[in-house]
Amino acid sequence: MVHALEDINQLLKPDGCLIDIHPIREAPFIKVFRGSDLLSVESDPGYDYDEGIQHAEAALAEVLHRGSYRVERENEFELVTSASSAPELQDYWEQYGAFDDTPKDEAMIVRKNEVYTRADEIMQNASGAEISCHERARITRLEPNVRE
Amino acid sequence: MTIRVDPENNEPNALFALADFNGRRVLEIGCGNGRLTWRYADRAAHVTAIDPFEGSIARAKENMPNHLKSRVEFRHIGFDDFAAASESSTFDIVILSWSL
Repeated sequence: MVHALEDINQLLKPDGCLIDIHPIREAPFIKVFRGSDLLSVESDPGYDYDEGIQHAEAALAEVLHRGSYRVERENEFELVTSASSAPELQDYWEQYGAFDDTPKDEAMIVRKNEVYTRADEIMQNASGAEISCHERARITRLEPNVRE
Repeated sequence: MTIRVDPENNEPNALFALADFNGRRVLEIGCGNGRLTWRYADRAAHVTAIDPFEGSIARAKENMPNHLKSRVEFRHIGFDDFAAASESSTFDIVILSWSL
């Protein structure tokens, strides 16, 4: 990752910037709403980014330490993905990650299925309910320092 | 299908708060199916969007809005290979899109 960040530094014009977006170390929440009423909320056990986020943050810290970049600004935002049924949202995420061939944790998949099953049961008894996934991310603007 | 992604535009709003895309040459690394690309590309001069997953790039190309076809280039390529074949000082903005 450090090598990639150094390569990006070379690809940027001297007055350019790198925008990094990555999830924060907190599992997304699966929420069921009907109108403004929150019917259920559970953290997503399928969240397996933690090790990747640690590596990403370590790589960013390293290039900042080396002086390749400086942080100009950073912020956080919430990315919400919603659907009218639990299977629909689950299908969306499966399709979204279908091209990622990294090994999956089977126990985590079971726990994730259980969360979606519980949400589906709640929605069966709540006409008009909507399910949504809420994921927080950090966005950082880094500027390359002048290259020698 | 009634999936809604980022209905309040939180992600592009956060992006636009940090960078001015007008007339810029942009590289997006890890563009996936183009979900974020569509949200800023109409402001940029040119966007090169890359992803190592062939299926994601195929979907992004399929879903490309007509008005963006002249300025967005999707490429199925990993970053290391892309960087090795690219000239330095090419891009105004590089986006690491949930991909570091």
